[in-house]
Amino acid sequence: MAHYHPNHELLMQFAAGQLGNALGIMVACHLESCAECRQTSNQFEHLGGDILESLDEVDISPDFISQTMAKLTEVALADSMSKLTETSTDSSKDTLKINSEFPKPLQRFLPASLDQLSWYGVSKNIKQFDLSFSDKKYTAKFYKIKAGKELPQHTHRGQEFTLVVDGAFSDEGGSYHKGDFILADTSIKHQPKAHADCDCICFAVTNAPLQFTGFWGKMLNPFMR
Amino acid sequence: MTLVASETSYQMDDLILRIAETQDQKAFAELTVLAAPRLKAYAIRCGSHIDDAEELVQECLLTVWRKAHQFNPKTARSTTWLYTIIRNRRIDMGRKNKLDIVQSDDLWPEAESDLLEDDIERDLTGSLVRTLLYSLPDEQRQIVFKVYFEGKSHSEIAGELDLPLGTIKSRLRLAMKKLDTLAKEQVSWLTIILIMNF
Repeated sequence: MAHYHPNHELLMQFAAGQLGNALGIMVACHLESCAECRQTSNQFEHLGGDILESLDEVDISPDFISQTMAKLTEVALADSMSKLTETSTDSSKDTLKINSEFPKPLQRFLPASLDQLSWYGVSKNIKQFDLSFSDKKYTAKFYKIKAGKELPQHTHRGQEFTLVVDGAFSDEGGSYHKGDFILADTSIKHQPKAHADCDCICFAVTNAPLQFTGFWGKMLNPFMR
Repeated sequence: MTLVASETSYQMDDLILRIAETQDQKAFAELTVLAAPRLKAYAIRCGSHIDDAEELVQECLLTVWRKAHQFNPKTARSTTWLYTIIRNRRIDMGRKNKLDIVQSDDLWPEAESDLLEDDIERDLTGSLVRTLLYSLPDEQRQIVFKVYFEGKSHSEIAGELDLPLGTIKSRLRLAMKKLDTLAKEQVSWLTIILIMNF
């Protein structure tokens, strides 16, 4: 069970359908494994329903109903046609996904297994993989920190959201495990270290690159953009 | 506060169930009449152009037709369910024709629903909801609406209203508390957010 969670601002924006792609996917991944946040997000959806119900009605065009009914006739016909033909297609789609190690919201964007990710090196102990969600504001990456190794000390020029996908890591602020959702910003200077027993894989979403602060970190800065 | 129970939500429950059970087109037409004006209001508030708003409403209603079998009145009110459908259609239609790969199905995979049966939520009738939301001071309601309709973050709202971030957070916290308190006076409402961690 996760111990670190997205705050209510994010959960409300998520339920409002107003988060960008990268953050939206990340919150969805956390919700998959966190019943508590799922509950909160459901409450914000209820609030969305309340808001919908509280709106003043807007007149609809006179022919809207007849147009919609005409469209429905088309849709109903198309559905009954496709019901006759669809048998095998659906099941094959399902079996494909069962094997994946990733949270469901990420599966469509990744290969079935962690080993198949085309990691590229930042250093011997840190590898990364870029995810493209066509998000204008945030970039999304996977980081892999080798078991027992640490990232150079760094701070953030903007905000960084991290979801632990596999393994665990610790920094000055705590110890984070699979499913944990961590928010770091410019006020946090930290040096995450993977736990000794296995590699730690994190899904990170940032609106600005990391900024390394130590000597070795400064050397790395040009490569981390 | 006097409350007049709104029948709309129950009426809609019934119509959606009829669509699910017998593909009842007459029920669909009735639902369209009942729901379209508010769905259109939502579309417009979210920034839909006036000419596109009805397209979104139509898409939403046709999705209701297709997904009616997934509606479970024991886990959600019809209004909440309709809200999630129009929200998702809005996201997907806004992304049509663009190189945008994330869709609402990615964000809300149709997994086995693990919602707890929540009879309490059903007690909150439409008119009560209306009373609650409109009993909030304008300055609080405005912020809630900015999140839901405009997708603004707290810091963006702070910038727009030229107020400190802390003020936005505390107004939102007050709004949630007030909704909760008011609701509890009438029915034990959602246990919504007593301690907000905004």
